[in-house]
Amino acid sequence: MKMLRIPVAMTLLLIVAACVTINVYFPSEAAAQAADRIIQDVYGERPGETAAPVEPQSRLPDGGVTSATHALLDWFISPAHAEADISVNTPAIRQLQASMEKRHQQLAPYYKSGAVGMTRDGEITLRDQKLVPMQERNAVKGLVSKENADRSALYKEIARANGHPEWEADIRSTFATRWVSNAPAGWWYQNKQGAWEQK
Amino acid sequence: MMPSRRRVIAALFAPGLLVIAALPGFAIDVVHLQLGTLEGVGWSAHAVSVQLNWLDERHAGLVLQAQRLALPEGLGELSAVTLLCARAQLTATEVSCAQGTLMAQSSVLGAQNIRTTFRYQFDTGRIDTELLGVRMYDGTLSIKASLSDTHWQVVVRGAELSLPAVTRQLAATGFAIPVVEGSGHLNVTANMSGVASQLGKADVEMQLLAEELSDAAGSIAGENLDVSLHAAVTVAAAGTQVVLDMTGRQGALYVDPVFIEMPAQALRLSASFDWLPTAELVLQSFVYRHPGSVQLEGSGHFKLAADTPLRELQLEIRQAEFPAFYGTYLQPWLYDSVLADLDTAGQLRGSLHWEQGKLSQVSLDPVSLSVDDRLGRFELESMNGRLRWSSTTMPVRSELAWASGSVFRVELGAACLAIDAGRDYVRLVQPVAVPVLDGALGIDVFQLEFSEDTGMRWQVNGLLEPVSLSQLSLALGWPEMGGKLSGVIPDVRYDNGNLEVGGILRMQVFDGEVTLSNLTLEQPFGLVPRLQVDARADNIDLEKLTRTFSFGRIEGRLDGRVDGLDMESWRPVAFDAEFATPENDNSRHRISQKAVDNISSIGGAGVGGALSRSFLRVFEDFPYDRLGIRCRLENGICDMGGVAPATDGYYLVKGRFIPPRLDVIGYADRVNWDTLIAQIMAVTGQQDRPVE
Repeated sequence: MKMLRIPVAMTLLLIVAACVTINVYFPSEAAAQAADRIIQDVYGERPGETAAPVEPQSRLPDGGVTSATHALLDWFISPAHAEADISVNTPAIRQLQASMEKRHQQLAPYYKSGAVGMTRDGEITLRDQKLVPMQERNAVKGLVSKENADRSALYKEIARANGHPEWEADIRSTFATRWVSNAPAGWWYQNKQGAWEQK
Repeated sequence: MMPSRRRVIAALFAPGLLVIAALPGFAIDVVHLQLGTLEGVGWSAHAVSVQLNWLDERHAGLVLQAQRLALPEGLGELSAVTLLCARAQLTATEVSCAQGTLMAQSSVLGAQNIRTTFRYQFDTGRIDTELLGVRMYDGTLSIKASLSDTHWQVVVRGAELSLPAVTRQLAATGFAIPVVEGSGHLNVTANMSGVASQLGKADVEMQLLAEELSDAAGSIAGENLDVSLHAAVTVAAAGTQVVLDMTGRQGALYVDPVFIEMPAQALRLSASFDWLPTAELVLQSFVYRHPGSVQLEGSGHFKLAADTPLRELQLEIRQAEFPAFYGTYLQPWLYDSVLADLDTAGQLRGSLHWEQGKLSQVSLDPVSLSVDDRLGRFELESMNGRLRWSSTTMPVRSELAWASGSVFRVELGAACLAIDAGRDYVRLVQPVAVPVLDGALGIDVFQLEFSEDTGMRWQVNGLLEPVSLSQLSLALGWPEMGGKLSGVIPDVRYDNGNLEVGGILRMQVFDGEVTLSNLTLEQPFGLVPRLQVDARADNIDLEKLTRTFSFGRIEGRLDGRVDGLDMESWRPVAFDAEFATPENDNSRHRISQKAVDNISSIGGAGVGGALSRSFLRVFEDFPYDRLGIRCRLENGICDMGGVAPATDGYYLVKGRFIPPRLDVIGYADRVNWDTLIAQIMAVTGQQDRPVE
């Protein structure tokens, strides 16, 4: 029996140790809060004015650990995966945010008219160009294109600034939800299926 | 009935027309004929009946009816067809009606009540008819037709036809035209003639007036349009020849993504093309004139059924006028490139040639063409030359000269480049020197390659001949510095948006030398430019440096290094830097009271603090042994150090043993970088201004 216990103990230790490394996962709640701060600055609102409360999100770490095992280990080694804070204070992020804040003044009327809508991948698009006077259409296309370039760069920079370039997709999807949550009623957005809905 | 007295010779149907020919007679006042079904090529009439009420020897009331009249494809069918003529004239040679009425229900055009005249000549078989007030597309149409056994001629006049209705109808009939909504009207006159069922010639005059119209997607739209079109069509066995002339007089037109406001002198498009039975379009010639903006001419050949319909296209840019041409025709395609926001002037001429769906030759001649980036990143004034490119493997020679220019507000002088271009590369033919401020950038080798897979990459080998730093720093909005910037640039590579500088850039500055190595620049024209570089400073004259930055005079020499400098949007985010008095430096070492105060005030009570200075105030400056500072920046925090460790801190300035001895000791290990910069800026009286 004793002979058996040591390998069992070792195996358990290994699982625990493995789990500690696995558990460096995307801090979704912190990311949502960071996103809200940036988005509210871009939209030019005071925080908390229209934003819906952040729903806590959690994800299972990749690595084939079943949820029951995970829950157990969770209890054992909870400090190992306290969610990291998301830092958004780098020159690049500040610069991108400033550029988006400035552009938002020009984009706002088109969000309101429904000409421009928020896509499900955290960008915007000219969804109905008939709502834009002919002579403004190319200018709006330019705004949309520049905004999307800024947004893509922002998601990438946040992931990079936090030392996890692989988080880019998670950050993008967090932002995709938060852009819509923070938007005033009446603006158009794409739902998860890609259909357009008005908030 | 006696056939000798009444010979009903014929009942002839043509679309919308019936003629009864009869010889006059009196014995019977009323003739009623049931003709059953009549058929011709492309049409059939069912339950046809004719009724004649003789009025006198030469006149009769005529009623012709058909229950159903199927018309050739696309024209639908008519039901409840009734042709009335109260007083038809019947002679031995013809029957005619000066005032008739045709009533029918059209599947395409709805209920119709049409005034009509007609005349049918028995011997020649010629029919002349006029239909007035055909209601069509919310407007009215009048049709005048002459038909004989051999020839026919039809003149159609349409007034106030609704453009949305016309496009809807034509699209439904299978024409590839966009369906528009809005308030457009068409006035049309079409004069057509032909033989049998074949169209021979058509001459169409059309005027389009539209307050506002748009297709469903908004990719074609117009406002206050006044456009007229003239088309002459000749049909022959070899093909159909079309000569087209279109004039836009007024209003604005949007054809995604191009927005055109009709110029005062009118926009004109003339074209002549042949449509061949093999579904080929031979564009003999076209001329597009947009006064004040561009004149294009060309010819081409398209095989519409082929995988690549474009067989050949020659496009001549006779004259493109900037900035109008850029604003209307170029900018809409460039909105996500570095050329998106330009102020332009000058002209461009040239030609483009496509073969088998691919661009095969480009020839562009800029004439005093100037481009100026509105974001201030680059500028080239008065470009002249000839730019050539060909898809063949043989290189072609190009030349480009400019009078002046700038990159990031650093002035460039006049230069002339000779370039060889092949299918996927461009290469400098001979070395060139581009003046940069008071120096020059000598380019020995320049090679650019582009491919669809890897994008664009280029490589430069050159030499930077001394540029005075005072001018450079002024141009970049930095504090004015003395000295010269120069260096060998053995290998600058641009690949996938990133710029990498091989070799070492050398700056003669403040009597010493600064060298830059391992320089890479990611996305230099992008949103977040990122610079990485290692720097070394040797034997800098501190007196000159401190004077430039009005820091308070320090005499002596300084060595330093900055390893792994990482800048985002031109602001440092990480580096490991160390500056200190060189070992064995035997220059005069003095530091002024002001400099001491400034060092002390940086970092508040933390970084610097002069020791027991009160009595030292009497001295204007102090001798020192060594001075230095170290900072390792990471995550916005600077890990500080000095020239030597001290009790609880580090020496920023270490005094000499000979009195008056003064030490400046720093205590803060970790300092917020932004705060530090703000304090240094406050001390030196500079604005914290990033280069944009």
